[in-house]
Amino acid sequence: MINRPILTSLLLLCVTLPGIQAVHAQNSGEITLSDLSDPEFNFMGFGDISYFSRDGSSQDGFVIGQAVAHLSAFLGNSLSVFGEFSATGKDSGYSLEVERLMVKYDFSDLLKFSAGRYHTPIGYWNSAFHHGAWLQTTATRPEMIKFGSKIVPIHFVGVLVEGTLPRNALGLSYHAGFGNGRHANVARSGDAGDINGDKAWMVQLRAAPSQFFGLEMGLGFYNDEISPGDRPDIKENTISAYVAWTRESPELIFEYLHSSHELLSDSSVSGDVDAWYAQFAYRLKDDLSQWKPYARLEKTEVDNTDPLLFDQGLDYEASILGVRWDFNAYAALKAEYRNEEFDNGGRENNFRLQVSFVLTKL
Amino acid sequence: MMRQGISTDRRIRQSLLVFCAMSCLLPGVAQPENLIGKNGLAIVVHKDTEVDNLSMHELRNIFLANQQFWPNRSRIILLVRAPQSDERDFVLDSIYRMDEARFRQYWIAKMFRAEVPRGPKIVFSTDMTLDLVVAIPGSISFMRADDVTDEIKLIRIDGKLPSDEGYPLK
Repeated sequence: MINRPILTSLLLLCVTLPGIQAVHAQNSGEITLSDLSDPEFNFMGFGDISYFSRDGSSQDGFVIGQAVAHLSAFLGNSLSVFGEFSATGKDSGYSLEVERLMVKYDFSDLLKFSAGRYHTPIGYWNSAFHHGAWLQTTATRPEMIKFGSKIVPIHFVGVLVEGTLPRNALGLSYHAGFGNGRHANVARSGDAGDINGDKAWMVQLRAAPSQFFGLEMGLGFYNDEISPGDRPDIKENTISAYVAWTRESPELIFEYLHSSHELLSDSSVSGDVDAWYAQFAYRLKDDLSQWKPYARLEKTEVDNTDPLLFDQGLDYEASILGVRWDFNAYAALKAEYRNEEFDNGGRENNFRLQVSFVLTKL
Repeated sequence: MMRQGISTDRRIRQSLLVFCAMSCLLPGVAQPENLIGKNGLAIVVHKDTEVDNLSMHELRNIFLANQQFWPNRSRIILLVRAPQSDERDFVLDSIYRMDEARFRQYWIAKMFRAEVPRGPKIVFSTDMTLDLVVAIPGSISFMRADDVTDEIKLIRIDGKLPSDEGYPLK
C-alpha cells in the first residue's frame, strides 16, 4: 500500500511534470513564431554542496548550501515577473524563503519600474551574485554580506525604479528604491510591513564605461530608521562604494561600506561600522583556462559605541586563498582555505570544498 | 580483364572523387571565417526599424542587452546563432569579446540579476535568421553580408556598409 506522502509526491509530480517540460522546452532558447505572442517562461536553478572543516569544530562535514529556483515570465512587450525561492539546510531542517519576487514594467531603457522583494541595491556582491554560488568565483561570500548579515540590509520590500542613461560613454545607470526598512530582527527585511512606519530609501549610481569593457563602479546610499525591539529606535545611514573589473584575467573586486548608527532619542550615542573586502582572481590561459586561482582579504570593524551592533561580535578579519575548477560548462569545483578571526577571538583555519552548479539551457 | 579494367577505373574515379570532396571539405573548415573576414558580417534588423546606423559602441550595448529598446521604445529582440557557427564565433570575438564559456556566464548572470526578462533567442541557420528578422518587429541579428536580402534592413556600422572600406565587422 502506498502511504500518503508518497501518494502526494506522485500526484505533485504528475501535476508539475508537464509544466516543467514546457518550461524546459521554452527555455531552450529556440524560437518559434508562437513564442512571440505567448507568455514566455524561463527557469534557472542554482545549488551547491560543500564539505567543510574548521579548527576546533565538532560539526565538520558535508552541507547542502542552498537550492535556489529562479522563475521568470515575460508577459508582454514591457511586463515581466521574476521570482527566486531558496531552500537552505539548517540544524533544524530546511528553511524555505521567498528571496525575490517582483513584477516589473519596462517603460524604456531609462525607466523601469518594479514592486516586490529585492536584493537591496547596495554595493556589488549583493546584487551581482547573491544566491548564485556558481556565479561567484569563490566558494563563500564575504562575511559583511553573508546570508543573514546584520551589517548590510540584504533584502528590502518596496518599489524600485532603475534605468540606463541613453547614449552615454560612461554607461551610467541608476537604482532608486523606497520601501520597508529592517525588521526588529535586523538581519531580516520587513516582509509584512514596515515595523515603525519610517520607510527606508536608497539610491545607487553605477558606471560601466564602454572604453573599459568589464569595468564597473558604483556608489550608493541607504537610509532607514530601525526599531530593534530590545533597544531604542536607531537612525541608520550607509554609504557603499565598489570597483569591479570582471574580465577574469584578471578579476578584481573591491567593495567598501560605511554605516553610521545613531540613537534617535540621543544623537550623542552613535557609532560606525567599516567593512571592506578586496578580491583578486586570475583565469589561467589556454589549456589551463578551466582553472581560476583566487585570493581575498576582508575586514569588518564595529565601534564599541555603535548603539545597534556593538554587542553582536561582528569584528572580523580574514585572508582567503582558493582555486576554482570549471570542470563542466555548468558546474565548478572550488577549494578554499580561510584564515580568519571572529570578534578578536584569535585566528582559526577553515577549509571548504564545494561543488556548485547552475541548471539552465542557454 | 575488361570488367576488371572498368572496375579499376571506377575505383580510381571514386578515389579521385573522395579526394576532391575531402580537399574541398578541409579548406571548408577555415573558409567561412575567411568569407566573413573578406565580405564582412552584416548587422540586420526588421524592415520597419527606424534606425539606419549604429556605432560599434551602440551595437555592443545592444548585443550586451545594456540597451533593450529602440528609440521608438519598441523592444529589441536579439537573435543569436547557435554554437559552432562561424557567424557566432565572429560575433563573440568582435562584439562580445568573450569566449563561449564567458558568453554563457554573462547571460546567466544577466538573467539572474533580473536585468533582462529573457536571454537571446537562438537561431540555427541563415534561412531561419532571415525568416525571423522578416517576421519579428524589433528584431536584430547578423549574417554574412552575401546572405542579406531585400526583405530585411542592413544597418550601417560607424556609418559604413559591409562593402565599404574600413567596415568594422570584417
